[in-house]
Amino acid sequence: MYSAEISRANPTIFMFLLDQSASMQDQIGSGEGQRKCDVVADALNRLLSELTIKCAKEEGVRDYFHVSVIGYGGSNVGPALGGSLAGTDLVPLSAVASSPARLVERTKKVPDGAGGLVDQEVKFPVWVDPVASGGTPMTKALSRAQSVVSGWLNEHPACFPPVVLNLTDGEANDGDPTIPAEGLRQLASADGPVLVFNLHVSSDSSSPISFPDNDAALPNQYAQTLFSMSSTLPDHMRTYAQQQGIKVSDGTRGFVFNADITSIVQFLDIGTRASDLR
Amino acid sequence: MLAHTSAFWVPKRGSSLQEYEDAFWIGPNGDAEGEIRQSSLTVAVADGASESLLAGRWARRLVALIGTAKGATHTKRGFAAAYREAASGWDEEVAKYTAAREARDAPIQWYEEPGLARGAHATILAVEFSDARQDRSPMWKAVGVGDSCLFQIRDESLYASFPMTDASAFSYQPPLLASRGADDNVLRRHIGLATNDWERGDGFYLATDALSAWFLRTIEAEGRPWEPLRDLDTMDAKSDFAGWVDEQRDLGEMHDDDTTLVRIDMC
Repeated sequence: MYSAEISRANPTIFMFLLDQSASMQDQIGSGEGQRKCDVVADALNRLLSELTIKCAKEEGVRDYFHVSVIGYGGSNVGPALGGSLAGTDLVPLSAVASSPARLVERTKKVPDGAGGLVDQEVKFPVWVDPVASGGTPMTKALSRAQSVVSGWLNEHPACFPPVVLNLTDGEANDGDPTIPAEGLRQLASADGPVLVFNLHVSSDSSSPISFPDNDAALPNQYAQTLFSMSSTLPDHMRTYAQQQGIKVSDGTRGFVFNADITSIVQFLDIGTRASDLR
Repeated sequence: MLAHTSAFWVPKRGSSLQEYEDAFWIGPNGDAEGEIRQSSLTVAVADGASESLLAGRWARRLVALIGTAKGATHTKRGFAAAYREAASGWDEEVAKYTAAREARDAPIQWYEEPGLARGAHATILAVEFSDARQDRSPMWKAVGVGDSCLFQIRDESLYASFPMTDASAFSYQPPLLASRGADDNVLRRHIGLATNDWERGDGFYLATDALSAWFLRTIEAEGRPWEPLRDLDTMDAKSDFAGWVDEQRDLGEMHDDDTTLVRIDMC
């Protein structure tokens, strides 16, 4: 399981479910006044940019992955990529590369070759803008994910199993999310069941609980629910997590509670780690 | 020496011939396939890393420079000097590529800039064969960074294997040579050197990682991997190289990767 080569002939999906409820306007616990929706959108744009760069070859960006970003907030559950990709459920990575909503100039510190750092202007692509409004229809979002992933698996039965990453700060207020989450995890390709990972972004400054293997240390039922909705990390992601200094076991799950800025980036990095791009 | 050389290569599935990112060199000009009569012969194979941009160009540049540099296979210092020369011309190579893209109205895109800045990466293996001298047997000297391999077959058994000797040691992260240069200490740590004798009748197989791993696995299972490779391009061959590699991929015996073999038969 989880050993299929990922190639243009046999691509897979990264799907991001993005909480856009009103509470995402609140400040993140760890972050110098930054709103949760800004931090999450920024981390997602950065991840999409890195994924694109990783798959860029001379003749263009290779479609090892198709990407889906589904936002959920208030009465809206639907595609959340901006620009010319707006309204699209699933986008090949080459289209992600060629169609950011916009490119903004950012300053990055780079080595100056003499042991110091200098500022360098780099182009930073933006596909997802921060949105925060209404309640948290997470159950509907997971159902929508189930429908998109199911369609994909019909057409790509031998793919590396799709990875669904749910980024949220609150409890679902449209029913029990564990039911569609379980439905998602029961979908499978010949290489194994779909992977569902959950990230909880926090407004308080408690320490994050990253990639736990049991729910004993989780503070409440809400955290335990998200833990129960999360898949166990496959071998290559667990190994990578360990290399990042995270304590892992065979039962380590793709779940972070009370995430700060650093652990949001780390969650996306580990959850989208591919072992065998061809 | 009298040797017969043959090269075989095939890209990974779904890739075009232009997307093949391995490279090989059969001295003195890189293309010496067939019967060779000369006092020394240098052969090299390189494997451009899939995740870097212009990896095929870097692999071709490496084999050309390491394949022609005097003494590159003899010492770490000699190899490092040839590598530095290859790396020092990389900016110019990238500038030419960038200019060519501009000329065909396909300028470098934002997602290519970091990869071009980071540079390309490749493994390499080079071997120099030399004739007997006075009281010394004919010898070969090899140098390698990464998991491209040399196998020497004598009297129907494996006589030498370099640098890998264990199929389980292949990973997705072999040491690589960077086109943007490397720290001297790191470089020296990863350079491997080997030398041994050769004699008439010996067969040498230089291969990039997918085929090398298959070769060692077959030996570990008490098989004789040189047999199908020796038969390639002969009347005994059951299929051509691409067909044979495809069959191994279908059987799950070989990774789907750019695959290269240079065979040298000492006559």
